[in-house]
Amino acid sequence: MDYDPMAMDDPESLGPVVKVSESGKVRVKFELSNAELAFANSLRRVMLAEIPTIAIDLVEIEENSTVLADEFIAHRLGLIPLNASGAENLLYSRDCDCDEYCENCSVRLTLHAKCTGDEIMSVCARDLVPSSERINQTLGSPIITDEAGMGSLILKLRPGQSIKLQCIAKKGIAKEHAKWAPSAAIGFEYDPHNKLHHIDLWYEQDPKAEWPPSEYADWEEPPQEGEPFDYDAVANRFYFNVETSGSMPPQEIITEGIKVLQTKLAGLIHELSDEGDGDYNGPRSPEFGGGGVDGGWQDQGYTTPYGNNAGGSWSGPGGGTTPYGQTPYGGSGGWQ
Amino acid sequence: MASVNPQHNNAPECVWIILFETFLLGDGEKKITETVVTSMSNCSDFLLKKEDHTLGNLLSEYLKKADKVLFAAYKVAHPNVAEVLLRVQTDGTITPREAFISTCKLLVSQLGHTGREFQKELALRQFADQGDQGGAGDGL
Repeated sequence: MDYDPMAMDDPESLGPVVKVSESGKVRVKFELSNAELAFANSLRRVMLAEIPTIAIDLVEIEENSTVLADEFIAHRLGLIPLNASGAENLLYSRDCDCDEYCENCSVRLTLHAKCTGDEIMSVCARDLVPSSERINQTLGSPIITDEAGMGSLILKLRPGQSIKLQCIAKKGIAKEHAKWAPSAAIGFEYDPHNKLHHIDLWYEQDPKAEWPPSEYADWEEPPQEGEPFDYDAVANRFYFNVETSGSMPPQEIITEGIKVLQTKLAGLIHELSDEGDGDYNGPRSPEFGGGGVDGGWQDQGYTTPYGNNAGGSWSGPGGGTTPYGQTPYGGSGGWQ
Repeated sequence: MASVNPQHNNAPECVWIILFETFLLGDGEKKITETVVTSMSNCSDFLLKKEDHTLGNLLSEYLKKADKVLFAAYKVAHPNVAEVLLRVQTDGTITPREAFISTCKLLVSQLGHTGREFQKELALRQFADQGDQGGAGDGL
């Protein structure tokens, strides 16, 4: 990644600064600084609720002699994390040309188990078999992270009981149902010493003694004894802890979250900039959805359809030299 | 009648509409509409359909910081109605629409910057972790 050495002179002009303190298979911890609280919070909200993943959405039960009700099992199946790599190439079922679902907008998984032994048998996520007709061979595979390689427990069978069902996994976002959330949890904190008084700590005698210090307490200066309250202070450093549910690597949750938020903003720019063809209107009910609306937005890196913002520096709203200067929307001054 | 859209011919359609209305635009709905506020000078209301605090708070906070913008605020009038109303007043040298667009553009580029910054820092972190653990650690 090349950057402009001139822009390095003034850290304020650089925009948000990121520091990654931990990066693993399950979680990424990073600090976002030089950004507004609103910016950090929007990123958090988008990572929680609006990144498309894949989850079981339809279950056709052929045979169920377990003690559990069909809908109970269906609910459990929905919550199983499935591999979402390549989900950007999967269509939303509502946008697809097919009648109900097809391999372009869904992944079929089958579960067929019977307890033939004498002991109670566990049916786990690994027993879900994805069909080979899918857009790539990882999309929709159940996530297995435990050492035994079983995956999450779906149900248990007593001797003689059996279960046979077909699942249709579809693409969706967590705003519709939490099963599509890519993140198991997102830790978000700022101001570890509570200098801004955004929280009012409950205490018996002394909040300092009774509340354990934050993991990030050492990263920021503790308040001085008798220091007056700073009325102008704003939150500036935000500590994220993004934990994946398994469906995508935690690093990807962050980059995808940024992309989704950019896409939303780009849609607004597009809508407001050219009155003529308001063809992009965001996701829409299937009556309107042109099949491949999605594909166009998912491009390499952080280029949006509104131009290439690979340049290192950005300028304030008054500057007019945003990376969008060259776009057809750049010079739109003429609404009435 | 039912042949208009074979995908939605009976009851599930109702469920569909209820479920999706937080993020799917309805028939003929526009993502964003601007209404000029006549009682105030250089002022417009922007109605964002199927959006929430994610965009409302982000845009209003950044509009407040923008040059030439005198006033910006948003509300989500009802938690069950996915609509954001954003009012912007400028000093008259630019229109509220121009202010809105430039703020969106600024945010897109800031997000792009954040993403690149994250990738860079992530590579550094992974490099450092490999050094620490002799390449054997799985980073868990």
